Amino acid sequence: MRTIRSAHRTFALAFVALFALAVAATAGAYHTRFVANTCNYNAPQPTSYFTRDGSTTVALYARYEGYQWAGGCWNDNDVDDSPGDPTQDPNTGGEGGDCSGFTFKVWRESTNTSDAGAYQWNKLRFIHGPYTADAFRTGAGAPNVTYGKAGLIRMDALASPWHIGMIYAANADGTDQIVEAKGEAYGTNIWTRTYRGDSNYGGVRRLGWSA
Amino acid sequence: MTHPRAGRLGTRDRRRGRTLAALTGAAAGATVAAVLLALAGSAVAHRLDRADKPPGDLIEATHLPPLLTAPGDPTELRYDIYCAAPDGDPESGAPCDAGGTVYVRPGDSGPFQALPLRLDASASTGRYVAELPESVSRAPAGFSYYAVLRNQRSGATTTLPPAGALAPQRSRPLSAPVAIRLGTHVFGAARRASARVAAAAWGGGPDEVGLEQGPQLGPIGASSFDVDATGAVVVLDEANRRALRFERPGRGPRILPLDVRGTIADLALEADGGIDVLETVAERGETPLVRAFDAQGRARGAWHIAGANASAVRAGPDGPVALQYPAGQWTPVVEHGRGLTVDEQRRRGRAGRPLPGGDELVVQRVGREARVAIVGRQGVRRSWQIESDTPLAEIQLAEPLGSRVVLVMRVYTEARDEFEVLVLDGSGVASRFAVDAPAWAETAPLARFRLRGSALYALGSTPAGMFVDRYDLEVS
Repeated sequence: MRTIRSAHRTFALAFVALFALAVAATAGAYHTRFVANTCNYNAPQPTSYFTRDGSTTVALYARYEGYQWAGGCWNDNDVDDSPGDPTQDPNTGGEGGDCSGFTFKVWRESTNTSDAGAYQWNKLRFIHGPYTADAFRTGAGAPNVTYGKAGLIRMDALASPWHIGMIYAANADGTDQIVEAKGEAYGTNIWTRTYRGDSNYGGVRRLGWSA
Repeated sequence: MTHPRAGRLGTRDRRRGRTLAALTGAAAGATVAAVLLALAGSAVAHRLDRADKPPGDLIEATHLPPLLTAPGDPTELRYDIYCAAPDGDPESGAPCDAGGTVYVRPGDSGPFQALPLRLDASASTGRYVAELPESVSRAPAGFSYYAVLRNQRSGATTTLPPAGALAPQRSRPLSAPVAIRLGTHVFGAARRASARVAAAAWGGGPDEVGLEQGPQLGPIGASSFDVDATGAVVVLDEANRRALRFERPGRGPRILPLDVRGTIADLALEADGGIDVLETVAERGETPLVRAFDAQGRARGAWHIAGANASAVRAGPDGPVALQYPAGQWTPVVEHGRGLTVDEQRRRGRAGRPLPGGDELVVQRVGREARVAIVGRQGVRRSWQIESDTPLAEIQLAEPLGSRVVLVMRVYTEARDEFEVLVLDGSGVASRFAVDAPAWAETAPLARFRLRGSALYALGSTPAGMFVDRYDLEVS
C-alpha cells in the first residue's frame, strides 16, 4: 500500500510541478511565439523600381495586423496575433512593426543609413531598421529628407519625436488619413489624424520613387 | 510473522518497489502534463495560424471629392487604386493592373453616364482620372457620382462611396459665395479665454484624467469632450474608461464610468444629456462602434459603423451621426433609438453634416482656401470662400449660430500652429480671433472645439493636465 501511495504522491507532485511549468512556459511563450514561429531573416531583394502605389499596397497588407515595439514582422490575416503584449517590453516577439519599423519597411530602406537604394523586405522578414521616429523627423539617412508639410502627398510621412505615420489619403476637411503602427492597443491601421497642422510633427519624404 | 531474511529481502524489495513506483509516478505525471501542454500549445497555435488572405483579394481606393466647386477648379475626378501587383509577388512594389468606371450625372436624379478611368502615369497622386463633360461639370446644380474600381487581373472590385448609386458622392458649385481674404496669420496674438471651465491633472484619481500608456506612444488622453445646454462640460477620460462631468468651475468633476475600449474616441452629447462615444479602434475583424450611454453613464446600446473607420461623431437630428471613411460621408448610425444596419447607414450617406430641419453643412479645404456651404433641398443656400496666405490644416468646427456660421480652422507653419476662429455672416466676417490651445496630449482628430449657445469651448492640454476654456463670441 505504501508503494502505491508513494507512486500516487510522486505522480501528483510531478504532475503539479510539470503542469505549472507547462502553463508558465505556454504563457511566457505566447508573447514570443509569433516571431520565433513565423518570421524569417532572409536577405532583402534590391529593387530599382518602386512606386507610391506599390508601397501603399505593401502598407495595406499590414493593415489590421499587430503592433510590436521594436518589431517588424507581420502576416496578412487581419488579426493581431499577439494581442496584449506588455507595452514596456520590446522583446516579447509579437506580431507587427512599431511606427518607425513599419515606415522603414514600407519605404523599402536599407539598414545602411548611407544607402539610398530600395530593398524589398517582405512582410514576414523580421527587421526594424536603424531609424527611430525622431531620426526620420530630422531627415536622417540618405533616402530621407525633411519636407514642407503643405506639400506632402501620399506615402510621405509626418513624424514627431515619438511617432511617425505615412499619408494614405487627404480628406475634404483638411485632415489626413494616416497609415501607421500606432501602439499595442491600436495595432496597424488607417486613421484620420491632424498631424499635418500639429507643430510637434514635421514632414518627411522618402526620395527615389519611380512613380 | 516474517522471516528475518525474508524481512531483509522484503525491505529491499519494498525500497526497490517504492523507487520504481516513484519513477513510474513521475513519468506518468510528466506524460500527462506533456499531453496537456501539447493540447494547450495546439490551442494557441490554432489562434496564431489563422490563414492569410489571398493577396489578389486586396482592392482599396482613395478619392478626394470636390464637394464644393468654384470657377477655375479642375473638371476631372481623380482616384488612386491599390491592389496586388500583377507579377505574382504582392509585395514587389509594382503598381497593380487597375481600372474602373465613374458613373456621373448632373444634379441628383436621372441616369448615370459611365466614364472610364484612364491612367495618368505622370501623376504622383490621383493617378486614375476621368474627365467630366461640360454638361456635368457646369451643371448649375452640380453633379452626383460614384465609381467602381477593379483589379483587372483578379477581378476584385470596390465601389466608392460603397452604396454606389443609392448614396452617390455629391459635388455642388459654391453659389455666389461670400469671399473673404484672411491675409497672413499673426502668431502669438491669440485671444485670452473668457473662462477656464474645466481642468484636471493627469492621473487615475477622482479629479484626474488618464494618459494612455506605451513606448513610442506619444501622450494620449482626454481624447474628446462636449458641452451640454447648461454649460456643463463632459470630458471623455478614455484611459480610465469614464467620463468626467464638470458642472461648475472650481469644483471637482462627477465621475461617470463608461464601458469603452480605452483608446482614442470621440464624444458627443445628445439633447437629453445622453453620451455618444465613437471608438476609433475596432475589435478583431470588426468595424468601430458607436456606444450610447444615458446621462448617468448607463449603456443604451452599441452599434457598428458601416465604414472601416470614422473621424467624428455628432448629435444628429435623429441620433448620432458619424463622418465615415472610405466613403467620406456623414452617416447616421442610430435613428430614433434604432441602430441602422450597414446597408441602411450607407444608403443615408451625405456630403455634409445633417442639421435640424433638413439642411446640411458642407465644408472643404482646398489648398489655402476653406469653403463652407449651407445646403438645402434646393441646393446651396449660403456659402463662404475663405482664402488664407498662411497654410490651412483641418477645419476643426463648422456650426450654425442663428443666421451665422462659426468656423474654426487650424493655421500652421513648419514650427507653429494656432486656430483661426471666424463668425461668418452674409457680408463676411462678423467676428474673428485666434486661439492658442496647446495640445500636449493627442485627442480624437475633430475633438478640439465645441459650440454651445454663443460660446466656443476649446480642449487643450499641457504636461500638467488637460483643460477646457470658454470663449464668449460676443455676437448678438
